[in-house]
Amino acid sequence: MIEISLQLLGFIAATILVVVGIAGMLFLDNLIKKLIAFTLLSDGVNLALVSLGYVQGGIVPILEPGASISEFPDRAALIFGPGIVLTNIVIGVSTTAILAALIVALYKRYGSLKASKVLKGERE
Amino acid sequence: MNEQITNLWSVPLLIMIPILTAIMVNLLYNKTRAIRVLSTGAALAVLAVAVVSPYGFHWFAGHPAVNSDGVYTFTASIFSLKLSLEYYYGPLQQILIAVMSLLLLFVVVIANKSFDKNYGPYIAIVFLTYVSAAAVLMTNDFYNLWIAVELGSLLVAGLVASSGTGYAQKAALKYTFFSALAGSGLAISLGLILGITGYANITDAINFLMTNDLGGMYAVLYVAFAFLTLAWIYAGGLIPVHPLKSDVYRSAFPHATVLLQTQSKLMLVAIGIVLLRMFGALPFAREVMLSISVLTMIVGIVMALIQTDFRWTLAYIIVSHSGLVTVGLSLGTYQGIVGGLFQAVNDIVYMSILLLCCEMLLYFGKGTSIKFNGGIAKKSPWLAAFVILGAFAASGIPPFNGFQSELIIIQAALAQSLPEVAAVVLMVSVSTFIALFRAIYSIFLKPGEDYPVGQAESKRFEIPATVFVFLLVLLAISFVLGVYPQLALGFLTESALKVVFVPWVP
Repeated sequence: MIEISLQLLGFIAATILVVVGIAGMLFLDNLIKKLIAFTLLSDGVNLALVSLGYVQGGIVPILEPGASISEFPDRAALIFGPGIVLTNIVIGVSTTAILAALIVALYKRYGSLKASKVLKGERE
Repeated sequence: MNEQITNLWSVPLLIMIPILTAIMVNLLYNKTRAIRVLSTGAALAVLAVAVVSPYGFHWFAGHPAVNSDGVYTFTASIFSLKLSLEYYYGPLQQILIAVMSLLLLFVVVIANKSFDKNYGPYIAIVFLTYVSAAAVLMTNDFYNLWIAVELGSLLVAGLVASSGTGYAQKAALKYTFFSALAGSGLAISLGLILGITGYANITDAINFLMTNDLGGMYAVLYVAFAFLTLAWIYAGGLIPVHPLKSDVYRSAFPHATVLLQTQSKLMLVAIGIVLLRMFGALPFAREVMLSISVLTMIVGIVMALIQTDFRWTLAYIIVSHSGLVTVGLSLGTYQGIVGGLFQAVNDIVYMSILLLCCEMLLYFGKGTSIKFNGGIAKKSPWLAAFVILGAFAASGIPPFNGFQSELIIIQAALAQSLPEVAAVVLMVSVSTFIALFRAIYSIFLKPGEDYPVGQAESKRFEIPATVFVFLLVLLAISFVLGVYPQLALGFLTESALKVVFVPWVP
C-alpha cells in the first residue's frame, strides 16, 4: 500500500484550490463567479499554511500540565501557520465584502455582471 | 545583535491616534463641525508625534528573550517560539512619516473644505490609509508587513471608489481583484519564510539565514522571494501592474491621490528594503529588482507622453518615478540606496504640488483635458507658477529637490558600471519635462478658446487661501531640499548603511 503523508495531501489539495481559484479569477467572465474563485484561492492558501505546520504524529501546541517538556519542541505542530490562517480568514472576509460591494455598485450602474461588459475601458 | 528594550511611546500613538480618529469620524458620520475639528486635530497630533519622537523599538506582541542587563541576544542554535512582532522608529521612518503626516494634514483640510455632509467614512479611510503606510514602514516582522499591505490595498480601493464615478468603481474592483492575488502570494511567502526559518521577525529570519546552511531549501527561499517581489510590484504599482495603479491614481480625487502616491512610495521603500535585507545576497535577486524598476521607468514615461489628460499624465509619471525610486534601491549600494530613499522623499513632495494644482483645475471647473483647455495662466497666474515650478522639480531641474536625488542615482549607477541605467534615468528626467510641459502649455499657457489672451473681462480664478499656503509650503520644501540636500540625507544615510553592512538590524 502506498503511504502518502497527510502534509503532502494537504499541499496537493491546496495547490488544486489555488490553481482553480486563479484560473477562475482570470478566465471567468461573471463577476460573482470571480468572487467565488477568489474564496477558493483564499481557502487554498489557508490549507497550504495549515499544512505547513503539520508534524507527523504531532500534538496540539499547548503545553498541558504533566506533559513532557523535552518532547514538546519536537512533537508540537508549528503554531504560526494556524495563526496566520486566522488573520487570513479575516482579511479574506474583508476583501470579499469590498469586492461584493463594488460588484453591487457596478451592477446598479451598468445592469450587468459580465466583466467583459462592465470592466471594458472607457475614459469618463 | 543587542538592542535596548525601549518600547517606544510614540509608535502606538502613530498607529492608534489615526485608528481611533477613523472610528470616531465614522461614528460622527454627518456631524460636519465635529468631524472637522477631530480630524484636523488628529492630523496635527500625528505630525507632532512624528516630529518629536525619539528613535527606538516597540513590541506589540511577544517579547524576545531578555538578559538581566536589559538587552536581548539572538541565539541561532536555540529554536524558540518568540513572536517578536516588532516596530522600529528610526531616522528613515521619521522623515518619511513626518512628510506623510504633513500631507495627511493637507488632505484632511482639503477634504473638510470640499465636502459638507456624509463624509465621515471618507475621512476614516484617509486616516486608515495613513496607518497602513506608517505600519509598513515601521514594522520589522513579516506578519505586520503582510497585514499592513493587505489593509493598505483594501483602503486604496475604498479611497478610489469614494470618488463615486463608474470609472473609479471599476478601477477599485480591478485593483482589489489583483490585490487578492498578490495578498495571497504574500501570505504564502510569509508561510514559506516561517517554514524555513521558524521566525516571523525579519531580523531573526535574516540571522537564521546567515548562520545556517539551507541546503536544498534555497529553491523554497527563491519562491518566497518571488511572492514577496509580487507584493512589492503590486503595492508600488510597478510593471506589469502599472495600468491598474495608474487607473487608481487617475480615478481618485487628486487630493486623495496625494495620499495614495505617498502610500505607494512608502510601501516601495519599506518592502524594497526588506527584499534587500533578506534576499539581497541571493544571486539574481537584485538583478530582478533592477530589471523591474528600469522597465517601470520606461513604460511609465512612454505612457505619460501619449496621454491627453493632465491627470493621466500625472498618474503615469507617478508610476515612472516609482521606478526611479526602486532603481536606486535595487542597485543595492550605499549610494544607490541613499539616492532611492531621497528620490522617494522628493517624489512625494513634488508630485503633491502637481496633484494639488490638478485639484485646483477641477475646483475651477475647467477639467484637466489637454484638448479643451487653455488660458488658465491668464486667469490664475499663481497656479501657473506653482505648476511650472512643480514640473521643474519633477524634471530634475536645479535648484529643486528632484535634481539632487536623480544626480545621486545616476552617480550610483555609473559607480556600478551601469551607464545604461544612468542613461534611462536621464531619459526619464527629460521625458518627464516634455510630458509635463506639453500638458502645461495646453492647459495654462496656450490662449484659451473661451477667454482669449487680452480679453479684459476675463474672470480670474482665485486659489483658496489654504491650498495656496499648502502649495507654498511644499514648494519651499522642494527648494530647500534642492539647495540643502543634507537636511534630508542626514535622515537617510543610517538606514542605507544598515541595509548594506548590517542587514539584520532594522
